[in-house]
Amino acid sequence: MMKKSIIVSAFLTLMIFFSAVAQEGKDRFMVQVDGLGCPFCAYGLEKKFKEFKGIKDVKIDIETGDFSFSYPSDKALSIADVEKQVEKAGYTPITAKVERANGTVEESSANEMAKKSEGTVSKNVMVAGNCAMCEARITKAAKSVKGVSAVSWDKNTKIMNVSFDMGVTSLEKIEKEVAVAGHDTKNHQAHTDDYGNLPACCKYERLSY
Amino acid sequence: MKNITWLLALVLFGIQFAEAQGPPITADKPIMLGGGSFTAKTLTELRHTERGNFAYVPVMLHYLPTSNSLVAIHLPYINYDIEGGPSGSSLADIKLMGKYQFFRKDGTGKTFRMVAKTLQTLPTGKELDVMDLSTGKYAGYYGIVAGYESLKYGISNEFGYNWVPDGSLDALTHKIGFGLPLLKPQYPNKQVNLYFEYTNSWLVERDWYQLLYAQGIQYARKNVTFDLAVQVPLVNDIEADRKLKYSLFLGSRYSF
Repeated sequence: MMKKSIIVSAFLTLMIFFSAVAQEGKDRFMVQVDGLGCPFCAYGLEKKFKEFKGIKDVKIDIETGDFSFSYPSDKALSIADVEKQVEKAGYTPITAKVERANGTVEESSANEMAKKSEGTVSKNVMVAGNCAMCEARITKAAKSVKGVSAVSWDKNTKIMNVSFDMGVTSLEKIEKEVAVAGHDTKNHQAHTDDYGNLPACCKYERLSY
Repeated sequence: MKNITWLLALVLFGIQFAEAQGPPITADKPIMLGGGSFTAKTLTELRHTERGNFAYVPVMLHYLPTSNSLVAIHLPYINYDIEGGPSGSSLADIKLMGKYQFFRKDGTGKTFRMVAKTLQTLPTGKELDVMDLSTGKYAGYYGIVAGYESLKYGISNEFGYNWVPDGSLDALTHKIGFGLPLLKPQYPNKQVNLYFEYTNSWLVERDWYQLLYAQGIQYARKNVTFDLAVQVPLVNDIEADRKLKYSLFLGSRYSF
């Protein structure tokens, strides 16, 4: 009995070790994809990426368009290759990021260029919303404003953090764009029609002004 | 009145749970699933008319050379039983299809696309004068398919003209389909979808007009769908003894 336990323990330890080694040798890609209007679209996207031999851990969230996968780092797959493959699948890549096995992080060139632009500031503002779908809509609306380089929104705190070039745009313009997408912000209330167009899961409690 | 109540209930039920949907059944779609992929499909039609009964069984193979183009071949078999006329089985009209997507506008969880489409019908079937099934005549169809798909609903729309050298089956057609899912969007794919599809068809030379309504349901898994639809005429302004009673569609498709 004791002997069996030792063999099983040794086997499990080896499994964990090899799994860890395998993970170490993988790059993790994260892409936001537009145009996934139905689950079949997600299938088309995954199928196209199966052409990358060695692809693993494919995850697609069709509500947010978040698409992620792991790929052997020795193949040195570039972000440009990934964006091109999304296009070949018939969809639109919006942002792309890769966490390399060696710890470095790369982002799509458009993001990097924007981050390096002069006069960039980072601001926090309250934006009402509920779920991951809200997050995708809010960040997309904010990113659509010229001069915005990075956006994040926390569904628990309802705080949107936005980095933008003050010489190009303003927080007010960004808030207005988010309100047009249907979300109340601290200083701009969404029009009733825009709020009404939100899916049922995104119907947040309206802010009072 | 009871039927209308049921239809209304189905629509409202569909809207209530509308999240996402798959490809339409009797209508066409503008979305293509990635360059280099194949889809094998069939859509058996059991057509019952005042003139006779027809069972049409096509085997279709679609191939996407690129993400915005499609070529396809449809190899159909037909069983026919015409009242006071011939009956039997034979090869029907083989069809070749081409589509090219010329417009695409994507958003998060939604897309709008437009496609130019042609369907070339080869005169390989018997001259049964059953449009779309077996005419024994060459025909060239040219149309535009436009569609919007979101995580809430899908609309597909097709407008086109069917040209036949002798003009006898020239037709202007318009199809519109609405798709409503009953399950929450999820990937890997698992869906049950309702379809409400209308077909307008005007045979120019014969001055026949039909407005058909198809109620369909679809079960979809990762890369497979199973379809069932019943099509009935709402307007049947065609020659006496030729009118459509109803059609039953049974289909499946597999993408690889």
